[in-house]
Amino acid sequence: MRKWFIIFTILLFTVSSFTQAQENEVTLTLAGFAVPREAYGKIIPLFQAYWLEETGQTVVFEESYLASGAQSRAVIGGFEADIVALSLEEHVTRIADAGLITADWQDNPYNGTVSTSVAILLVRPGNPEGVTDWADVVGRGLEVITPNPATSGGAQWNVMAAYGAAYRGYVDGYSADAEGALQFLTALFTDVLVLDADGRESFLTFERGIGDVAITYENEYYAGTAAGGEYDIIYPTSTILIENPIAVVDVYADKHGVREVADAFVAFTYTPEAQAIFAESGFRPPYERVLTPSEVEGEPDVLTLVPTTELDEERFPPVEDLFVIDAFGGWAEVVPTFFGDEGIFTKMIAEVKG
Amino acid sequence: MKERNLSLGGILLLLAVLIYAGVLLLAPVVALISNTFQDGFDPFWKAITDGEALGTLWLSVRLAVIASMFNAIIGVMVAWVLVRHNFWGKGFLNALVDLPLVISPVIVGYVMIVLFGRLGWLKDFPIKLAFSWEGMLVLTVFVSLPFVIREIQPVLGGMGKEQEEAAYTLGASPWGTFWRIIFPSIRHALTYGIVLTLARSLGEFGAVAVIGGGTQGSTESATIYIYRSLNDRNYAGAYSMALLLGIISVLILIVMNNLRVHKRGG
Amino acid sequence: MAQAVAQLDSSASQARSPQIMFWGLRLSVIIYLSVMILMPIFVISVQGLRDGWDVFWTSITRPVAWNAIWLSVWTAGLMAVINIVMGTTTAYVLVRYRFWGKGLLNSLIDLPFAIPTLVTGVMLTLLYGPQTPLGGFLDDELGIKVLYSQTGIILALLFLGYPFVIRSVQPVMIKLDAAQQEAAHTLGASQFTTFRRVILPALLPAMLSGGLLSFARALGEFGSVVIISGNIPMRTQTAAVYVYSQVEGDKMASASGVSLVILFIALSTTLGVDYWYKRNRERSRERA
Repeated sequence: MRKWFIIFTILLFTVSSFTQAQENEVTLTLAGFAVPREAYGKIIPLFQAYWLEETGQTVVFEESYLASGAQSRAVIGGFEADIVALSLEEHVTRIADAGLITADWQDNPYNGTVSTSVAILLVRPGNPEGVTDWADVVGRGLEVITPNPATSGGAQWNVMAAYGAAYRGYVDGYSADAEGALQFLTALFTDVLVLDADGRESFLTFERGIGDVAITYENEYYAGTAAGGEYDIIYPTSTILIENPIAVVDVYADKHGVREVADAFVAFTYTPEAQAIFAESGFRPPYERVLTPSEVEGEPDVLTLVPTTELDEERFPPVEDLFVIDAFGGWAEVVPTFFGDEGIFTKMIAEVKG
Repeated sequence: MKERNLSLGGILLLLAVLIYAGVLLLAPVVALISNTFQDGFDPFWKAITDGEALGTLWLSVRLAVIASMFNAIIGVMVAWVLVRHNFWGKGFLNALVDLPLVISPVIVGYVMIVLFGRLGWLKDFPIKLAFSWEGMLVLTVFVSLPFVIREIQPVLGGMGKEQEEAAYTLGASPWGTFWRIIFPSIRHALTYGIVLTLARSLGEFGAVAVIGGGTQGSTESATIYIYRSLNDRNYAGAYSMALLLGIISVLILIVMNNLRVHKRGG
Repeated sequence: MAQAVAQLDSSASQARSPQIMFWGLRLSVIIYLSVMILMPIFVISVQGLRDGWDVFWTSITRPVAWNAIWLSVWTAGLMAVINIVMGTTTAYVLVRYRFWGKGLLNSLIDLPFAIPTLVTGVMLTLLYGPQTPLGGFLDDELGIKVLYSQTGIILALLFLGYPFVIRSVQPVMIKLDAAQQEAAHTLGASQFTTFRRVILPALLPAMLSGGLLSFARALGEFGSVVIISGNIPMRTQTAAVYVYSQVEGDKMASASGVSLVILFIALSTTLGVDYWYKRNRERSRERA
């Protein structure tokens, strides 16, 4: 009997150890996508010091980093994150549509984008296959690595980068229209060997020696080289500007009574010191969309993308044809037409691999 | 079957089995060990004494211990009812006990969110079960539910009900009957079941990742930590934790094997 | 049983408290099992069939979904077959022969029960990755790719399923009638004939039930497969991984649909095992 008494005591102890109480502290829950974890790891201590000095309050952070879509679904399902930092605008829109974000989160000079990057091609050191642009990737039996758009927001950026480049006439051998772009996408995904669940996993698969070309992001390249990885980065002539949103989840933040500090944190991510950390981690700053009237009468306005902070061109070289998702009607339109159950991409991948 | 010394055919069979088990079971373990210790013992030690890593292990251990205790108590009750009582639908219920072994944990995690999430059917349930450790506990109990029941059932069945009835006739209370008659007989099977439950709970990944949200420091279990460390290129951390869980599993195995000997001996 | 207890109780001096307690116990057990196990099935069914039969049908017959289900079924099936052969052989060697290291081998077999499946996945990538000696050799010399292929999935499932057949066959083998065997032997039957005519028929139910259990268990495997499968729709994406991708992509209807199919297959297998057990028990009783 005594043995069982001891077991029971241990049980009580383990149960009681779950309860916790804190005073004079404020807790912020951040739900992020997997990639910028390192950057937030450095920004958070800076913010904690800043907030302590401003208000005398200690901020405790609870951080969760999962694939962007998973994070979005979790927040809608009841994961009470005060702040979301996701990969796709559409993932934040879903949360807003669920009624959890009540303010216009894109109402700031940065359109709600906190960091950006560009989709690039990654090859083995010395570029043994001589890949210089999108057109060199397909039809040569090269093994291509990219994440799965069904689970990864980042993967959807990759698909739209390739599709857009062809659509805009920057891929030789394919006509510059929807049909040609789809043909290019089909050829590209015929050569895809592994479709990992998220962007980082896909990158690590390439790092493990699988595949000849990976479609990935400039910031992943910098994170990888910083960790001692060896590969070459190839900037395509035409590629997409990847914009990662950040937003306060109003309903949860108000519920936890942390609105003020949550707003302050989001504002803090735009400060030069926070942006410097993003740059150090390989992210570009938010870009501003500048519309200038076309020189030709009757043509639509010309859109130019201007970085909000001056770029170090050694580290972040300009791309000849940089485009944004607006070119295809924004994510609200792209997600259902490309990645829905009957979407262009969803159908294509079933045919290609069938 | 009688035990024999090896014959020529026996040696060949044994060799085939050893090669098969070696490639299938041992080689992966060796690969893990050699990768963990490729830079010596220090990185391993540093990785497993890291506060964050220990925190996740502690969470996993707590979940596993509580789930095992819970399943032990409920499991005995369920097994007793399934063996001693007859009622309509018993066969079906009995078959369903194995379901947690075959259902994909990810979908169970998702069911929990459908039920207890913000828009869930039971969203006003007094305990917060979505994205909390309580939810992780419920799922851990679920995935390890069959083990205790399945271990005790045959023992209870084999024991017959005569002793229990005799005890009642002599005026013993149900509680007394349980401790004096039933418990001593099922003790070994129960412990074996608890050990299996512990092992299964410790290793659960899919379900707890979906329901917990994987928040560092609060709902990140050891397996989620391994997954995250792999993605963060913290290979030392990932392999060390994997090895640590492996070592704990092997310790559990040793206990299991001692119990198997006991069980056979009656 | 309940009536027996009731009769005993009324004759005993202590009123009817045990009877009430037993009824309470029975009720709580039924409620508990229903809540824990029937509830998930109910939720999945409602989610899968919410938009009608047609939507359910399209969600499981979509090529990607259908191929994922089929991949799960045939890899798990192939695994079960290999497992029945190798598991029975292993059990035979363990029961039949005396050799050094037997205790160790016997303990090792339970390893897959104990090791987290995620760790299994990690171990397999460490063993068969292209940068490791073994993975490099297999790829360069023999042209066999283990990771991100169907071979890898089957290997992971074999690891997972290994103990099932052994642990179900072993006890039966131990109890096998030694006299019967000796008799066959004395009558001049070769060892193989003895095995085929005497041992095998007696073992078959245990082999099959172990094999089917490992099959059912492998159908839903996620942790190890998600790491090593490569996740290519139509080729290396299993049903469990497909369900995961649908859940993450916020497509609950098709996730539930595919889950239902897998659940149905798994449930019929476990019920099948149950049936086998019962029939076999009755048969052996008849014989005795």
